[in-house]
Amino acid sequence: MFRTGMHNTIPVTVAKGVFCLFLLHTGTARAAEPGAPGAPIWGAQVKVSRGVVSIERDGQRYPGIVGARLKEKDVIQTGGNGSVGIMFNDNSTLSLGPDAEVLLQRYAYDSTTYMGAFDAYIKRGTVSVQAGNIAKQAPEAMRMVTPKAEVTGTAKNYVVSVGE
Amino acid sequence: MKRLAITLALSLMTTACAHRDTYVLLPDGSGQAPGALTIKPAEGGNALKLDQPYQTARSTMGGGLEAGRTDEQEVRKRYGAAIDASPPPLVRFTLYFLEGSDELTAASKTELVAILAEIKARPVPDIVIVGHTDRVGMVADNDRLALRRADSFRKKLLQQGIADEAIQTAGRGEREPLVNTPDETPEPRNRRVEILVR
Repeated sequence: MFRTGMHNTIPVTVAKGVFCLFLLHTGTARAAEPGAPGAPIWGAQVKVSRGVVSIERDGQRYPGIVGARLKEKDVIQTGGNGSVGIMFNDNSTLSLGPDAEVLLQRYAYDSTTYMGAFDAYIKRGTVSVQAGNIAKQAPEAMRMVTPKAEVTGTAKNYVVSVGE
Repeated sequence: MKRLAITLALSLMTTACAHRDTYVLLPDGSGQAPGALTIKPAEGGNALKLDQPYQTARSTMGGGLEAGRTDEQEVRKRYGAAIDASPPPLVRFTLYFLEGSDELTAASKTELVAILAEIKARPVPDIVIVGHTDRVGMVADNDRLALRRADSFRKKLLQQGIADEAIQTAGRGEREPLVNTPDETPEPRNRRVEILVR
């Protein structure tokens, strides 16, 4: 993710690394602000899992195996050979390529009215998005957030790639 | 000295974090219009709207966005690993009910076999049963009837050995008719449950 030219001295390279970590850190802090309390139990399920995939919940790490359930505030990570496909209750899907990290900031869905809120923070990596009932009912209710931008809309399929 | 610090800081920003973010609108997949995406830079500035397949937005060094285009081949090359991990598409079945009742029509009873086959073909199936009604009666009553229809089908699946935690039910009442009708119109095609196998 860093473009480190051959002319860089080691201290400069390290300084760059630290600087980037700092940026990533502030980005995460902003993204981790708590949403509405009393989150619903499960919002999604892992349907496809390849290579190293993990779920971080309340400081604990779990394997992101096929069948694993996800909820608001979970962080999904893939390793260099990993990818994962997730089906949400409103029929939205997110699939992550290698070296990706996504925080499910907020997920709420009413299956009677299709009203809901779906905020995902894509910290790094490529995510392929299929919008489901929440966005169909109210396009602004589904937001894909990256460190640099926020994505909303009526689109059914799109890709967000952070840090190419 | 001050100028050196600024130069160094700028150099850090432009080279250390030279990575760029890309946003690509893809075709709908079902042959419909792709819809639109609005990408808003976090640091303010102009939002970019994509409404044609393979239009792209890329982040710039200045924190803004620039529009561009890509194609299917390039998308496969760059993002194939993520796209290929998409969950298999859900399969949707529709079953119909007798008027005001949670009993299936005779034709719909026979669909159960196909539904069970689809469920068993998936490694970790989850099933969503969505009940619907026609527009005869009050909205609140229809919400209850819709849920009753969904629950009655849930019992059928449980009897067939499908795990309880794999099934979710919902009642959409008269909100999502298959056939649009004036209020208080009996319409058999709207008295249905949809079964989504995911």
